[in-house]
Amino acid sequence: MSEFLVFDGVTKRFGDFVAVREASFAIEKGEIFALLGPSGCGKTTLLRMLAGFIEPDEGRILIEGEDITKLPPERRPVNTVFQSYALFPHLTIRDNIGFGLKMAKRPKSEIDSEVDRMLDLVDLTEHGDKKPDRISGGQKQRVAIARALVNKPRVLLLDEPLAALDLKLRQRLLVELDDIHDEVGITFLYVTHDQTEAMAISDRIAVMQRGTLEQIGTPAEIYEAPVNSFVAAFIGDTNFLRGKVVTATDEEYSQAEIEGVGEIRLFNDRPLKPGEEIALSLRPEKIRIESHAPPTDPGLNAIEGIVEDVIYLGSMTRYWVRVGDQRIAAERQHSRYLLDEKLPSWKDRVWLSWRADDGCVLSDFAVEDTELLSIPPDEEG
Amino acid sequence: MSELRRKTNPERRAEWWTTLPSAGWLLIFFAIPTLLIVVMSFKPAGPYGGFGEGWSLKAWVDMGNPSYPTVLWRTIRLSLAATLICIALGLPVGFLLGRSDAKTRSILLLLVVVPFWTNFLIRVYAWKVLLHPSGFFRETLVSFGVIGENTLLLYNEWAVLLVMVYAYVPFAILPIYASAEKFDFALLDAARDLGASSIRAFWLVFVPGVSRGVMAAVVMVLIPALGSYIIPELVGGPTGEMIGNKIAQRVFIDRNWPHAAALATVLMIVTLLPVLFAFAQEKRESIAVGKKGGDASS
Amino acid sequence: MSSLRARHPIAVFATAVALLFLYFPILVLVLNSFNASRYGASWEGWSMRWYQLLFSNHSRDIWQSLRLSLVIGVVASVVSMVFGTIAAWALNRYRTRLQQAHFGLIYLPIVAPDILMGISLAIFFVTLNVERNLWAITVAHITFCISYVALAVLARLQDFDGLVVDAARDLGANRWQTIVRVVVPLLAPGILAGGLLAFTLSIDDFVITFFVKGVGFDTLPLKIYSMTKHTKEMPVINALSTLLLTFTFASVWWIQRLTRTRSAT
Repeated sequence: MSEFLVFDGVTKRFGDFVAVREASFAIEKGEIFALLGPSGCGKTTLLRMLAGFIEPDEGRILIEGEDITKLPPERRPVNTVFQSYALFPHLTIRDNIGFGLKMAKRPKSEIDSEVDRMLDLVDLTEHGDKKPDRISGGQKQRVAIARALVNKPRVLLLDEPLAALDLKLRQRLLVELDDIHDEVGITFLYVTHDQTEAMAISDRIAVMQRGTLEQIGTPAEIYEAPVNSFVAAFIGDTNFLRGKVVTATDEEYSQAEIEGVGEIRLFNDRPLKPGEEIALSLRPEKIRIESHAPPTDPGLNAIEGIVEDVIYLGSMTRYWVRVGDQRIAAERQHSRYLLDEKLPSWKDRVWLSWRADDGCVLSDFAVEDTELLSIPPDEEG
Repeated sequence: MSELRRKTNPERRAEWWTTLPSAGWLLIFFAIPTLLIVVMSFKPAGPYGGFGEGWSLKAWVDMGNPSYPTVLWRTIRLSLAATLICIALGLPVGFLLGRSDAKTRSILLLLVVVPFWTNFLIRVYAWKVLLHPSGFFRETLVSFGVIGENTLLLYNEWAVLLVMVYAYVPFAILPIYASAEKFDFALLDAARDLGASSIRAFWLVFVPGVSRGVMAAVVMVLIPALGSYIIPELVGGPTGEMIGNKIAQRVFIDRNWPHAAALATVLMIVTLLPVLFAFAQEKRESIAVGKKGGDASS
Repeated sequence: MSSLRARHPIAVFATAVALLFLYFPILVLVLNSFNASRYGASWEGWSMRWYQLLFSNHSRDIWQSLRLSLVIGVVASVVSMVFGTIAAWALNRYRTRLQQAHFGLIYLPIVAPDILMGISLAIFFVTLNVERNLWAITVAHITFCISYVALAVLARLQDFDGLVVDAARDLGANRWQTIVRVVVPLLAPGILAGGLLAFTLSIDDFVITFFVKGVGFDTLPLKIYSMTKHTKEMPVINALSTLLLTFTFASVWWIQRLTRTRSAT
């Protein structure tokens, strides 16, 4: 009963190119579910298959147990907010919003009152009689949402709904979108390539790459426990430390030798054997950067290095520190910048330290994923 | 807007020198002769053809000849029908051209344009051969019993309509395609998504979306259709005559030039109506769109 | 194409019907030019006799009228290329009331029906008592060709980056050098396309010439027209038309290839 919307082994090929490969997952009723991935990863194809514009080559799509794979778009209980809104330029805002109800041959009085209600919901009541080219980008966005929602779809599909807007507006609309979702309680399927957008709005995220679903989970699960280097590098920024397990100390921890860095302590995200090659993802904000060696603590890893780059970002400063042949990114938050102790600067000798359980041992590592980091390592990782 | 900014003198002179050749030529050989038609319709006929001395309303009184309203009505009716059919064909073809990939599109476009580069007279003549009493169509239709032995395909209004559609359909396809090329086809997806069938989406979203192209197509088809001469002359016969034929008859048979001028004035008025309508529509639209600049050259 | 067929069956069907409609009469005409039968109602076997007739002494006037058409076409298109290009430059460069009127003068001849242009020029020449000879016909042709060239060049000018003119002046070219070395070469495709269109329209024109010309001076379309009046000449027209069609197709193909290789490099 929680399996509200189900993709069951859905595959789509365009010629030799596999756009979506055996996608199987379920979306729960009322949640905001994001499909996240770089352009060309198949997320839009998946969305268009749900909307009915593309027919899958294999697999089925079910909504509340009903197979909708073969239905034409106009007969599916879903509506879409299109990437560039696709508002009808020859119709007023009111007529745009009322279009779906008119297609459903609803009585005029009902259409009018429903449109009024939607205009009120998206706060555009005084713009109802304008044509789309007379309103701003953010307003168009809201019309597109209203036009879809007025039909009370069982799932609302949002195809990069904020991509055409500038940053501040995007952040504001994101909050509005969340409010609308709370108000209507409809299931949202949200397609985006922007990880901050996905993190901010979704209950769960599916990360896609090259037609394959890499990981599905809550934003925190995906951020804190990425399964592979792609997810780790695509969501947020990270450091990759590669090495070999030396000893499996106990149930929870192991020791590993990292190339050029030395021996560190690892948390066993999965059972590890001595001699096994591992890759560790370590988020920059988990690393403390100090001018003095931290007090010894068996749960803490501490290494020494030299600051190579410093970038002041306002709320924090990011450092790149050379340790052996590795460059490690670390962050330092500023709660009281001007009153703070003297901050490390360029060419300073510093100590980096992190708790062993703040790292995440990946189950899969690919060198090319390091290209996704904000500053890729200078040579091969 | 500051389009009326003061120009320096050399620039002003350069504008005059670059405008003069074409504007002068067209003023002398197009604008003045066109106005001359109206003026000369108030002249008496010369004794040996041409124009006589003084002024006369004779040509305009002769317009009351009962055969003229019939011919005028037929001209308008056939032209409107031809325009409607051309648009009806142009819409799906323009849609397909807009929807297809670059390669298919260039082939289709070429196929539409090539016949239009072949001699007009020859294309009309080809239909005369096809519809000829002993031609392909009639023989085929008679042998299948679709039409009787005595039915003629040639020399009637239907033949004129058919050939007009044939001759003018590229003029409808090209402007509609030009609009369809700029049309955002995601709008059709949006309409489908909101519950419209593909046919309704076509009518409610595509057709209004290419309305500028349709408007241009109406002008491009209706006006030459109203001024048709060769088509009714070759395939129309006496029951398919249009105003163009009457003008030619006055010039070449009676040599009554004022009479021809009066008929041409009538034709001019009839053809000006759709142009004015299209201009008014354009103006209304550009006002509705707002301050995007009423640039006459775009 | 196959996916288009699946997604838009009605549009594909309508397009197929439209194309069939456009080409059917032409195909029948071509076939009939090789038909031994004089009336083309039935197929009486392959024959080249109409082509032989076309190239015999019997058809000397046809070739004469073709030569006349070509001369008028070349003169009209060259003159209108010059006038049309200058006109387009003015229309694109200036945004004044004068240019609005200018645009009206350029645009109206395109929409005006041929017969009105023909009768108006005929009345004009008759009123002025000008002899309606070869020059009168050429003047008429230039009049309707200017507009087409102007619009073709104007379309090209709208993608024209005005800064290159400034760049040329900045690099030391004078006004005249800028025009010859930079502006004209950049506009050449538009000017040529316009000129080609003008040439085609001139060669094709029947109605305007018909009204403007005096006795004699039969251009090719006029010659064809007089031949259509005599049914026994039909097959010769078919043969002539087939040759003209072949020529048109070949030149369209050639131009297409030319523009493709140019845009590819």
